[in-house]
Amino acid sequence: MPGIGNDVVALHAINVDRTIQYRFYSKIIVNSEKLIYDQSLASFLPFEHFVWLAWSIKESAYKCLQRYQHDLVFSPSNTLIKQVQLPESRYESTTEGIGFDGVSVCKAVVNSGHHQLFSRSIITKDYIFSVVNDTDVFSKTCWNIKKIGSNDREEQSMAVREMLLHKLHELYPADQFKIEKSLFGFPVLLKNSTEADFPVSFAHHDHYAGYAFVPDN
Amino acid sequence: MTREEILDELKSVFAPYTTNKEMLANINDQTDLITDLKINSANLVDIIIDAEAKYNIEIDYDSADKMINVGSCVDVIAEKLKQK
Repeated sequence: MPGIGNDVVALHAINVDRTIQYRFYSKIIVNSEKLIYDQSLASFLPFEHFVWLAWSIKESAYKCLQRYQHDLVFSPSNTLIKQVQLPESRYESTTEGIGFDGVSVCKAVVNSGHHQLFSRSIITKDYIFSVVNDTDVFSKTCWNIKKIGSNDREEQSMAVREMLLHKLHELYPADQFKIEKSLFGFPVLLKNSTEADFPVSFAHHDHYAGYAFVPDN
Repeated sequence: MTREEILDELKSVFAPYTTNKEMLANINDQTDLITDLKINSANLVDIIIDAEAKYNIEIDYDSADKMINVGSCVDVIAEKLKQK
Protein backbone atom coordinates (compact mmCIF):
# COMPACT_ATOMS: atom_id res chain seq x y z
CA MET A 1 0.00 0.00 0.00
CA PRO A 2 1.47 3.39 -0.91
CA GLY A 3 1.94 6.04 1.73
CA ILE A 4 0.43 9.49 1.80
CA GLY A 5 0.13 12.30 4.32
CA ASN A 6 -1.19 15.84 4.24
CA ASP A 7 -1.36 18.91 6.43
CA VAL A 8 -2.82 22.38 6.38
CA VAL A 9 -1.72 25.53 8.21
CA ALA A 10 -4.15 28.45 8.37
CA LEU A 11 -1.84 31.44 8.04
CA HIS A 12 -4.09 33.92 9.83
CA ALA A 13 -3.99 31.63 12.87
CA ILE A 14 -0.21 31.64 13.25
CA ASN A 15 1.63 34.01 15.55
CA VAL A 16 4.05 35.79 13.23
CA ASP A 17 6.04 37.54 15.98
CA ARG A 18 6.55 34.27 17.79
CA THR A 19 7.32 32.26 14.65
CA ILE A 20 10.30 34.43 13.66
CA GLN A 21 11.91 34.12 17.10
CA TYR A 22 14.85 31.71 17.12
CA ARG A 23 13.52 29.99 20.18
CA PHE A 24 10.36 29.06 18.26
CA TYR A 25 11.50 28.35 14.73
CA SER A 26 14.50 26.33 15.91
CA LYS A 27 12.01 23.76 17.20
CA ILE A 28 10.76 23.29 13.63
CA ILE A 29 13.67 23.89 11.27
CA VAL A 30 17.35 23.06 11.62
CA ASN A 31 20.38 25.05 10.46
CA SER A 32 20.60 23.37 7.04
CA GLU A 33 16.98 24.30 6.33
CA LYS A 34 17.53 27.88 7.47
CA LEU A 35 20.44 27.96 5.03
CA ILE A 36 18.19 26.80 2.18
CA TYR A 37 15.84 29.65 3.04
CA ASP A 38 18.58 32.28 3.33
CA GLN A 39 20.33 31.25 0.11
CA SER A 40 17.45 30.76 -2.27
CA LEU A 41 14.02 31.51 -0.85
CA ALA A 42 14.29 34.68 1.22
CA SER A 43 13.46 36.98 -1.69
CA PHE A 44 10.27 35.13 -2.48
CA LEU A 45 8.75 33.92 0.76
CA PRO A 46 8.34 35.57 4.18
CA PHE A 47 10.35 33.67 6.76
CA GLU A 48 7.31 32.88 8.89
CA HIS A 49 5.67 31.24 5.87
CA PHE A 50 8.79 29.17 5.26
CA VAL A 51 8.74 27.96 8.86
CA TRP A 52 5.13 26.84 8.55
CA LEU A 53 5.74 25.40 5.10
CA ALA A 54 8.46 23.27 6.69
CA TRP A 55 6.07 22.31 9.49
CA SER A 56 3.35 21.25 7.06
CA ILE A 57 5.78 19.17 4.99
CA LYS A 58 7.23 17.50 8.09
CA GLU A 59 3.82 16.80 9.61
CA SER A 60 2.67 15.32 6.29
CA ALA A 61 5.79 13.17 6.15
CA TYR A 62 5.06 11.92 9.67
CA LYS A 63 1.50 11.01 8.70
CA CYS A 64 2.77 9.25 5.59
CA LEU A 65 5.16 7.07 7.59
CA GLN A 66 3.31 6.62 10.89
CA ARG A 67 0.69 4.43 9.25
CA TYR A 68 3.41 1.79 8.78
CA GLN A 69 5.57 2.62 11.82
CA HIS A 70 3.07 2.91 14.63
CA ASP A 71 5.66 3.85 17.23
CA LEU A 72 7.08 6.66 15.10
CA VAL A 73 7.43 9.93 17.01
CA PHE A 74 6.86 13.21 15.20
CA SER A 75 10.27 14.80 15.20
CA PRO A 76 10.67 17.98 13.14
CA SER A 77 14.40 18.05 13.83
CA ASN A 78 14.87 14.55 12.43
CA THR A 79 12.72 15.14 9.37
CA LEU A 80 14.96 17.07 7.04
CA ILE A 81 13.95 19.07 4.02
CA LYS A 82 16.70 18.73 1.43
CA GLN A 83 15.44 20.64 -1.59
CA VAL A 84 12.77 23.27 -2.06
CA GLN A 85 11.52 24.56 -5.39
CA LEU A 86 9.08 27.43 -5.09
CA PRO A 87 6.22 27.98 -7.54
CA GLU A 88 6.22 30.91 -9.95
CA SER A 89 3.01 32.26 -8.44
CA ARG A 90 2.00 32.31 -4.81
CA TYR A 91 -1.60 33.11 -5.47
CA GLU A 92 -2.98 29.74 -6.47
CA SER A 93 -6.75 29.62 -6.48
CA THR A 94 -7.23 25.94 -7.30
CA THR A 95 -8.63 24.12 -4.27
CA GLU A 96 -9.21 20.63 -5.61
CA GLY A 97 -7.64 18.34 -8.14
CA ILE A 98 -6.23 15.04 -9.29
CA GLY A 99 -2.52 15.61 -9.53
CA PHE A 100 -0.95 19.05 -9.52
CA ASP A 101 -0.46 19.70 -13.24
CA GLY A 102 -1.20 23.34 -13.95
CA VAL A 103 -1.23 24.18 -10.25
CA SER A 104 1.42 26.47 -8.77
CA VAL A 105 3.05 24.25 -6.17
CA CYS A 106 6.16 24.24 -4.06
CA LYS A 107 8.07 20.99 -4.57
CA ALA A 108 10.35 19.58 -1.91
CA VAL A 109 12.34 16.48 -1.05
CA VAL A 110 12.31 15.41 2.57
CA ASN A 111 14.22 12.71 4.42
CA SER A 112 12.98 10.96 7.53
CA GLY A 113 15.17 8.18 8.83
CA HIS A 114 16.14 6.11 5.79
CA HIS A 115 13.01 7.19 3.89
CA GLN A 116 13.08 9.74 1.11
CA LEU A 117 9.74 11.40 0.54
CA PHE A 118 8.40 14.02 -1.85
CA SER A 119 6.00 16.89 -1.32
CA ARG A 120 3.76 19.28 -3.13
CA SER A 121 2.55 22.38 -1.28
CA ILE A 122 0.10 25.08 -2.25
CA ILE A 123 0.93 28.38 -0.60
CA THR A 124 -1.72 31.09 -0.65
CA LYS A 125 -2.18 34.20 1.46
CA ASP A 126 -4.62 32.21 3.60
CA TYR A 127 -3.11 28.77 4.02
CA ILE A 128 -0.34 26.32 3.26
CA PHE A 129 -1.55 22.91 2.15
CA SER A 130 0.97 20.10 1.76
CA VAL A 131 0.79 16.55 0.48
CA VAL A 132 3.67 14.10 0.95
CA ASN A 133 4.06 10.92 -1.04
CA ASP A 134 6.63 8.14 -1.05
CA THR A 135 7.20 8.66 -4.78
CA ASP A 136 7.70 11.83 -6.79
CA VAL A 137 4.68 10.94 -8.93
CA PHE A 138 1.56 12.87 -7.89
CA SER A 139 -0.46 12.47 -11.10
CA LYS A 140 -3.11 10.29 -9.43
CA THR A 141 -3.20 12.09 -6.10
CA CYS A 142 -6.69 13.35 -5.27
CA TRP A 143 -6.68 16.36 -2.99
CA ASN A 144 -9.02 19.02 -1.76
CA ILE A 145 -8.66 22.01 0.55
CA LYS A 146 -11.71 23.90 1.68
CA LYS A 147 -12.67 26.74 3.99
CA ILE A 148 -15.30 25.56 6.44
CA GLY A 149 -17.65 27.55 8.60
CA SER A 150 -16.57 26.35 12.00
CA ASN A 151 -13.18 26.15 13.64
CA ASP A 152 -14.50 23.61 16.13
CA ARG A 153 -12.26 20.56 15.95
CA GLU A 154 -15.07 18.00 15.87
CA GLU A 155 -16.95 19.89 13.18
CA GLN A 156 -13.75 20.25 11.13
CA SER A 157 -13.20 16.53 11.42
CA MET A 158 -16.74 15.77 10.27
CA ALA A 159 -16.50 18.27 7.42
CA VAL A 160 -13.33 16.82 5.96
CA ARG A 161 -14.75 13.29 6.17
CA GLU A 162 -17.87 14.42 4.32
CA MET A 163 -15.66 16.04 1.66
CA LEU A 164 -13.83 12.78 1.14
CA LEU A 165 -16.95 10.63 1.07
CA HIS A 166 -18.47 12.96 -1.50
CA LYS A 167 -15.40 12.58 -3.72
CA LEU A 168 -15.32 8.82 -3.29
CA HIS A 169 -18.97 8.62 -4.29
CA GLU A 170 -18.09 10.46 -7.50
CA LEU A 171 -15.20 8.12 -8.25
CA TYR A 172 -16.82 4.86 -7.13
CA PRO A 173 -20.60 5.30 -7.38
CA ALA A 174 -21.26 1.58 -6.95
CA ASP A 175 -19.29 1.23 -3.72
CA GLN A 176 -20.04 2.00 -0.09
CA PHE A 177 -17.41 3.75 1.99
CA LYS A 178 -16.95 4.24 5.68
CA ILE A 179 -14.15 5.98 7.56
CA GLU A 180 -12.89 4.65 10.86
CA LYS A 181 -9.96 5.57 13.06
CA SER A 182 -7.17 3.12 13.80
CA LEU A 183 -5.93 2.51 17.32
CA PHE A 184 -2.89 4.54 16.35
CA GLY A 185 -4.87 7.59 15.28
CA PHE A 186 -4.75 7.48 11.49
CA PRO A 187 -7.90 7.18 9.36
CA VAL A 188 -8.84 3.82 7.89
CA LEU A 189 -11.06 3.73 4.82
CA LEU A 190 -13.46 0.81 4.48
CA LYS A 191 -14.63 0.05 0.95
CA ASN A 192 -17.65 -2.26 1.03
CA SER A 193 -16.76 -3.20 4.62
CA THR A 194 -13.17 -4.16 3.72
CA GLU A 195 -10.13 -1.96 4.26
CA ALA A 196 -9.48 -0.12 1.00
CA ASP A 197 -6.21 -0.69 -0.86
CA PHE A 198 -5.29 2.96 -0.57
CA PRO A 199 -4.69 5.15 2.47
CA VAL A 200 -6.34 8.50 3.04
CA SER A 201 -5.03 11.46 4.98
CA PHE A 202 -6.93 14.29 6.66
CA ALA A 203 -5.84 17.64 8.01
CA HIS A 204 -7.53 20.64 9.51
CA HIS A 205 -6.42 23.86 11.12
CA ASP A 206 -8.62 26.74 12.12
CA HIS A 207 -11.14 27.26 9.29
CA TYR A 208 -9.39 25.09 6.71
CA ALA A 209 -9.68 21.36 6.12
CA GLY A 210 -8.31 19.11 3.43
CA TYR A 211 -7.74 15.52 2.38
CA ALA A 212 -5.40 13.59 0.10
CA PHE A 213 -5.43 10.06 -1.27
CA VAL A 214 -4.31 8.09 -4.28
CA PRO A 215 -7.23 5.99 -5.49
CA ASP A 216 -6.79 2.44 -6.70
CA ASN A 217 -7.58 1.57 -10.27
CA MET B 1 8.70 20.79 42.61
CA THR B 2 6.82 17.52 42.77
CA ARG B 3 5.36 15.83 39.70
CA GLU B 4 1.89 16.61 41.03
CA GLU B 5 2.69 20.31 41.28
CA ILE B 6 4.09 20.40 37.75
CA LEU B 7 1.07 18.51 36.42
CA ASP B 8 -1.28 20.96 38.09
CA GLU B 9 0.62 23.99 36.77
CA LEU B 10 0.68 22.57 33.26
CA LYS B 11 -3.07 23.08 33.07
CA SER B 12 -2.46 26.81 32.63
CA VAL B 13 0.09 26.08 29.88
CA PHE B 14 -2.36 23.89 27.96
CA ALA B 15 -5.41 26.08 28.59
CA PRO B 16 -4.99 28.56 25.68
CA TYR B 17 -4.77 25.72 23.18
CA THR B 18 -7.61 23.43 24.19
CA THR B 19 -11.36 23.85 24.20
CA ASN B 20 -11.84 20.61 26.09
CA LYS B 21 -11.95 22.25 29.53
CA GLU B 22 -13.51 19.24 31.25
CA MET B 23 -10.68 16.99 30.12
CA LEU B 24 -8.16 19.69 31.04
CA ALA B 25 -9.47 19.81 34.61
CA ASN B 26 -8.94 16.07 34.95
CA ILE B 27 -5.65 15.49 33.14
CA ASN B 28 -3.36 12.68 34.24
CA ASP B 29 -0.10 11.20 33.00
CA GLN B 30 -1.86 9.29 30.23
CA THR B 31 -3.76 12.28 28.80
CA ASP B 32 -2.70 12.72 25.18
CA LEU B 33 -2.29 16.32 24.05
CA ILE B 34 -3.73 15.78 20.60
CA THR B 35 -6.29 12.99 20.90
CA ASP B 36 -7.59 13.81 24.42
CA LEU B 37 -7.08 17.54 24.86
CA LYS B 38 -7.80 18.11 21.14
CA ILE B 39 -4.85 20.44 20.83
CA ASN B 40 -3.94 21.12 17.21
CA SER B 41 -0.50 19.79 16.41
CA ALA B 42 0.43 23.24 15.12
CA ASN B 43 0.26 24.44 18.75
CA LEU B 44 2.67 21.85 20.17
CA VAL B 45 5.63 24.17 19.66
CA ASP B 46 3.71 26.93 21.44
CA ILE B 47 3.30 24.65 24.44
CA ILE B 48 7.00 23.84 24.50
CA ILE B 49 7.93 27.53 24.28
CA ASP B 50 5.40 28.45 26.98
CA ALA B 51 6.75 25.71 29.26
CA GLU B 52 10.31 26.94 28.66
CA ALA B 53 9.28 30.45 29.65
CA LYS B 54 7.23 29.39 32.66
CA TYR B 55 10.02 27.28 34.18
CA ASN B 56 12.99 29.18 32.74
CA ILE B 57 14.34 26.02 31.16
CA GLU B 58 15.49 25.02 27.68
CA ILE B 59 13.84 22.03 26.08
CA ASP B 60 16.09 20.47 23.46
CA TYR B 61 14.98 18.67 20.28
CA ASP B 62 15.07 15.18 21.75
CA SER B 63 13.14 16.17 24.86
CA ALA B 64 10.57 18.12 22.83
CA ASP B 65 9.90 15.05 20.70
CA LYS B 66 8.84 13.16 23.82
CA MET B 67 6.21 15.68 24.90
CA ILE B 68 3.15 13.95 23.46
CA ASN B 69 1.21 13.27 26.64
CA VAL B 70 0.93 14.94 30.02
CA GLY B 71 3.16 12.43 31.77
CA SER B 72 6.01 12.90 29.31
CA CYS B 73 5.65 16.69 29.58
CA VAL B 74 5.93 16.45 33.37
CA ASP B 75 8.94 14.13 33.08
CA VAL B 76 10.78 16.46 30.69
CA ILE B 77 10.10 19.55 32.83
CA ALA B 78 11.06 17.77 36.07
CA GLU B 79 14.30 16.59 34.47
CA LYS B 80 15.18 20.06 33.17
CA LEU B 81 14.40 21.63 36.56
CA LYS B 82 16.68 19.11 38.21
CA GLN B 83 19.50 20.11 35.85
CA LYS B 84 19.23 23.81 36.71
